[in-house]
Parts: sequence; C-alpha cells; structure tokens
Amino acid sequence: MNIRPATFALVGFFAVAMTAFGVFAPRFASASNMEDLMGGFSFIAILAMGEAFPILTRGIDLSVGAIVALVGMTVFDLSLIFHLPGYIVLPAALAAGTLAGAINGILIVYVRLQPFIATLATLATYRGIVYAISGRQLVEGLTTTPITDKWIVGLENYLDIGGPLGISKLFQTPWVPLSFLLMLGLFAVLQWVLLLSKFGRSVLTVGGNAEAARLAGINTGRIIIAAYAISGFCAAVAGLLLVARLTTSTEQLGFGMELSAIAAAVIGGVSLAGGVGSMFGPALGAFLLGVILLGLTLLQVSQYVQQIITGTILLAAVGYDRLLFLRRQRRANSSGG
Amino acid sequence: MDQPLLRGAGLTKIYGNLVALNGADITIMPGEVRALIGSNGAGKSTLIKLLTGAVSPTLGTVEIEGETVPLGDPREMIRRGVACIYQHSNLAPAMSVLDNIFLGRQPTGPLGVVNVKQQRREAEALLARHGIDLDLNAAVASLPTVKQKEVEIMKALALDARVILMDEPTGWLAASEVAKLHTTIRALKARGVGVVYISHILDEIFAVCDTITIMRDGRVIAERQVADIDRARVVHLMVGEKLARESEQASQHKRRPRGLGDIRMSARSLGKRGVFSDVSFDLYAGEILCITGLIGSKRTELLRTLFGSDRFDSGTLEIEGKAVSFATPRRAIASGIGFVPEDRHREGLLLDLSVAENLAMASLSRFRTGILLRGKRMMEAARRMIDALSIQPPEPNRPVRLLSGGNQQKALLGKWLNLSPRIIILDEPTVGVDVGAKAEIYTILRRERDRGAAVLVVSSDLEEVMTVADRIGVMVSGTLTSLHDADATDIQQIIREMGGAVT
Repeated sequence: MNIRPATFALVGFFAVAMTAFGVFAPRFASASNMEDLMGGFSFIAILAMGEAFPILTRGIDLSVGAIVALVGMTVFDLSLIFHLPGYIVLPAALAAGTLAGAINGILIVYVRLQPFIATLATLATYRGIVYAISGRQLVEGLTTTPITDKWIVGLENYLDIGGPLGISKLFQTPWVPLSFLLMLGLFAVLQWVLLLSKFGRSVLTVGGNAEAARLAGINTGRIIIAAYAISGFCAAVAGLLLVARLTTSTEQLGFGMELSAIAAAVIGGVSLAGGVGSMFGPALGAFLLGVILLGLTLLQVSQYVQQIITGTILLAAVGYDRLLFLRRQRRANSSGG
Repeated sequence: MDQPLLRGAGLTKIYGNLVALNGADITIMPGEVRALIGSNGAGKSTLIKLLTGAVSPTLGTVEIEGETVPLGDPREMIRRGVACIYQHSNLAPAMSVLDNIFLGRQPTGPLGVVNVKQQRREAEALLARHGIDLDLNAAVASLPTVKQKEVEIMKALALDARVILMDEPTGWLAASEVAKLHTTIRALKARGVGVVYISHILDEIFAVCDTITIMRDGRVIAERQVADIDRARVVHLMVGEKLARESEQASQHKRRPRGLGDIRMSARSLGKRGVFSDVSFDLYAGEILCITGLIGSKRTELLRTLFGSDRFDSGTLEIEGKAVSFATPRRAIASGIGFVPEDRHREGLLLDLSVAENLAMASLSRFRTGILLRGKRMMEAARRMIDALSIQPPEPNRPVRLLSGGNQQKALLGKWLNLSPRIIILDEPTVGVDVGAKAEIYTILRRERDRGAAVLVVSSDLEEVMTVADRIGVMVSGTLTSLHDADATDIQQIIREMGGAVT
C-alpha cells in the first residue's frame, strides 16, 4: 500500500499545528491539555473512522450524531429504568447503534434512496425516537439520577502508563484515557479490515466503480449495508464513551456531531468521490481538529470564530480532495489513445 | 457432436419501445472462436450483456453445458466460467493493477484476509504466460489507456473462464498488441476455451475466428464458417439489402468536396496538451467533412474543443476568417455553430420534457417577448420542425423519452436546425439508430449541406462515412493524419490509415 501525498500533507499539518500551539498557546504543551485532547477527541476519531466507510462507498452518513443520542438514551433507559446490569446494557447499546446503521444501508440499497436523503431522513427519525423513549421525560425524577453502573462509567478512566514505565520521572506524562486506547484498538481492527480483508477491497471497489464491482460478482448491496452498519457501530461506541463521561444522557447528545465526523474523515483524505482512503487519515484528522480547537480556546479565541475556522478547514480539505480527483480523472482521460 | 459450452436461445431484450435484441440464438462450442459482427445498434453489445448477466433478458434462455442458468446475475455467470472483456472500462481507477485483476474474487485465508502473496504469484504467472508486461502496484488511473485495456484482458483471463466474451477488445490496441492478443486467443482455443469476438475490423475476424454470426437490427441474420464466406458477402449481410441499395444510391449523390468554395472554419495546428496535437483542416460551406478513427483517437475531444466546451492550448481556430477561442459553448452558438453530441441521453436531450420543449431548448430567445416565453410560437415552430424532419409520432407534446432512438436523434438535430446554424458538428450521429432513421438523418444532413451549411461529422461507422462524406479525415492517436476527397479513396485505404499505416 503506497502512502498517498494527502497523508503526508496531513501529518505535516498536524506537526505544524502541534508545534505552533505548543510555542504560542499557554499551557498547550502541558500534560493536562494532552489528556483533554486524547479524552475529548477520541470519540470524534471513532465517529470519523466509522463515517469513512459510507464515504468510501461513495455515500455519506448524516445520522451518526442521532445514532449517538439513540445509543445514549438506550443506555439511560436500560440502566436507570430497567436496572439491567452493564454487561447486558453495553452489547444491547452496540447492537442498537449497529442496527440503526444497517437500516440506513437497507434504505439505500433496497429502497434505492440517495445516501444523503436516506440518512437525512433517519437523522430526524432517530432523533425523534430519542425524544419518544427518553427516560428523563417518561419517569419523573430520573433527570438528576446519575448512571453508576461500573461497567458503563468504567469506560471513563485514565491510566497512568508513563508512571510504571518510569517516563514520568523525566517529565510529567499525561494519564491516558481508556477511550483513547479503545480508539487505538478500533483503529487497528478497522485498518486491518479495510486494507487486508476481502471485504475491505470490496468496499474500495464499490466506491471506485460500482458497476465494475457488480460485474465482478461482488454483492454490492451487502457491502453497502455493512459499511453503514460499521458507521452505526462506531457511533454506538462513541455514544457509550460520552455517556460514561457524563454519567447520564440527554436528548441533545451528539447534536451536530456528524459534521465533525465528516470533516475529520475528509480532512483525513477520505475522498468524497469514493474508493480512496484509509483509517489513519480520519483518526488523525479528528485529532488535528482537536489540536486546533483546543489551541484556539487556550489563545482565548471565541467559540464563533472557532466554528468559522473549522468550516474553512473543511472547505480547504474538500477543495483539495476535489482537485486530486479532477487531476486523477484528467490523467485517466488524457493518457494513451 | 460435442455438447456446446454455451447456448442462448430466443434471447430478446426490449427497452421501452426499442427492441434492442429480437430472438437471437447463439451457440459456442469448446475451442471455437466465434465472430459477432454487425453495424452499430445491431444488438451485439446487448447480447453480450445478457450473456454476462449484466442485464436480464425480456425473453429467452441460456444453457451452459446443457444446464439452464438463471439470468441477470453477474455472479452466477462468473461462477459458471463466463468472463467478459468489456468495451468500456470496468476497472476501479484508484486501486492497483493487482487488485483490479482479482476484483471481487481475491484468494483469501482465514478471517477473510486477502492472500496478497498468492495473488501476486498468480498474477505474475499469468502475465508471464501471456507475455504481457504490467506494473502490478501501479494505480490503474495512472496507466495509459492501452495498458488499462491490458488490465481488463488480464482480469478476464485470470478467471480461468471457459467462455470469454470480447467486446471490441482491440479498439484501443496498436497492431503489434492486436497480434499478441490473437496469439493469446489461439492458446485459449487450444485449451478448449470458447471465445466470442466482437469487432468491426474484418481483417481481425478473418485472421482469428472460426465461425461468424452476423447481426442486424437486433436479429441474427446469418451464421457461417469463416472459411465459407468472403468479405463482400459479410459486409452485404451486415448492412442489409436496403442500406446496400441506399448506399449505392448515396454514392450516386453527387459528392461536393470543398462545397461552395468558401472556408467556414479553419483549424491550424490545433492542440490540447496530452489530448490531441497538430490538427489542421479547413471546413468549407456546403460540404460534409467526416472525421473517422479508432476509439481513443480523441475525435470527440477535438469536437468539444471546436464547440467551446473545452479549450485548446495551442494553434489557431478561425471562423469565417476571424480568429476565435471560445470560452463557453454559448459563444460558439453565437458564432453560428450547432453541436449534436454522441450521448444524446446524457448531453443532448431532456428526456422527460416534450419534443417541442427540446426543440426550443437552444433557441428560447426566439420565442420570447420581454421576459415571457410564447408557448404558441414555440408550438408552431415545433410542428414545422417535426414535419420537416418527419419525427414520428408527430406529437409536439410527447415526452422525448417515449420516442425511438432515431426519432430522438432527429429531435436533437432539430434543436440546432431551429437556429439555422452555419456550422453543424455531429458526434456519432446515428449510434443506436435503426436503419430507416439512419437514411433519413443522412438526407437531413445533405439538405443542410445544400442549404450552404458546413457539416462536420465524427463517426466510427465506416459505412456511414463512405455514405455521407464529401471529404474524409482520419485521426490516429490525437492527430489528424490525412484528408481525402471521398471519391478519391476507398474503405480499405481508410481502414489501413485508421490503424496507423502511413499513406
């Protein structure tokens, strides 16, 4: 697998941003800030890796934020209303998210909806379901009851990795949040699936040339449904991490998060034209967003300006992706003949 | 007698009201190389698509080794050993050559992990066996078109198929590569593989094929042993009595090279980097100039540039003595150019709108008072045009989608004729058009010529070129290599020049 120029550019940007903020933003290089970065953006990285799969098939998943809320509320209800133990709540929540994703895929494959429209519709529908099943409103007094199940809140944990290794004697090392390690694990698995498995090749083929994939005997429908299911699964993991951190869930959980996920994926070089990308890009893309947002906060730049800057970065990334696509196309057209 | 590898019976495919294939039968024996020949729109590609499962037939059955198979499912056909080299690229451009060769059927180990080593070993053995040189790691999009075609061929060969369908496999290949492909075909034949070979080029068919199936208008017209038939007879069967008669009549139409003698459009050393270069010609008022060439010779790209849809970056283009460089088609239209694109569905027509609306599309300002369109005037103009072009059925309100290919094409032509263009450019004007409508379109083109318009036609249908052209240009690999008066040349010479022979 060749490393693409887009990946180099991303790593370069990341290094530049880290260095610049490290120099200019007070406390940016501190251990606690690195803990904030890892803890606050691992779930975005997870969302972005999941989002990459639909985009790789030349689709998009706008419903991931709503799935986060759906999963959050599932955990809330099962844990606080039904008092189910965490080891049952966790798999149930993952299953709910994966199912919600698979339904997106089914709408796209069998009802033949455009991915944009299908997931826009389910964004609204899933969010509506969250309100409908919200335990905060169904059962009085639950609003202020925290989730205490140790299986669930145990996900929000920081590990002192530097200490036992003795590095923390040299300088203060950040404690590593469990969510970051989970993200690394998921990254390893998904990267392996995408690059080494037959399924991964099929995802890239469907995104690169759907008709060629069909004529090569690939079951394109199943691949697309699986891609959206993976996106739903990742949204579920992100939802669990958020609930563990807040020890509760709200109807507004994950609101607008699809934008961060899509932004991180595209910044990470996953082509909106389909068929091009890896897991490394979206993961690093999410942390690049994180570095910029945290850095700007430390420099006391207002939230609104931060949004403008995030939007501009997304525009630049999409523009660059488009440029690469056009160049690829031009080369394919102009060569030979 | 052996059992046939593949037998299709009564295969019929109807799209809307177009019968693309009408009760076709085809049989392929082990070790047989069967040519499939017919002019554009004869139904060859439809037949191939049915046999690969890309589309499902309206009627008819296919047996493979005596067993009836379900149709319309590519996986089923691949599983039963039917592979296809498609005319149009079926590759995933961003993926490597290796990935593309094994598209959809990578050898896998436990857990669905692709066994890259085995894949590479098999691919290398395959390349060595067929004497083809390809960089397995290169992304397909980075390869020249000819190499991409080789990837396509390797992809089919890697299947170890028992029947290989080749839809104009040599369209993009140079002569030496064609010879290499033929060697490969003979090797496959010796191993008992059945091959269906579609080509327009008779030389290739007589060089490599055993049997020949000739199609016309969606039907199988004749089946022969290649040894028992000669070229003239093949061409005769292919174009049919009617067209043969018409083309004879057409040849009695007086040809008018250089028409009225004044130059309408003049290109000098026109070039677009990496696409075409050094294209020079004069197009005269009152003549039909046909430019022909193989697929990939960049004729369409040249036309798009003349019409301002793309820009050229070297040379000069003059319209009636004035140097121009159109930034947009709008400018070109203002200079009196009309352009009928090759793909009428994607680039020409608004299928769901009526004939009248399509006819008025390029000339809306003529039907305008202030900011309002005059429906009545549009309708009258549409009626006149429908009459003039004898568009069937003559109903201006009918959605274009419901017209036959030929009548759609006439409506598309009418769109430009509404503007009485001084220069008409047409790209493959009769693709997917039945024989009757073809003749009508030729008549319309001649009428425009006689009206004094300059007509520039790009066509790969040589019958067509020989029928309508006053002068013939040949394009090879992005360069206009020769220009002839139509009376001073013949089809054999044009074929030789298309393949790159020096005159």
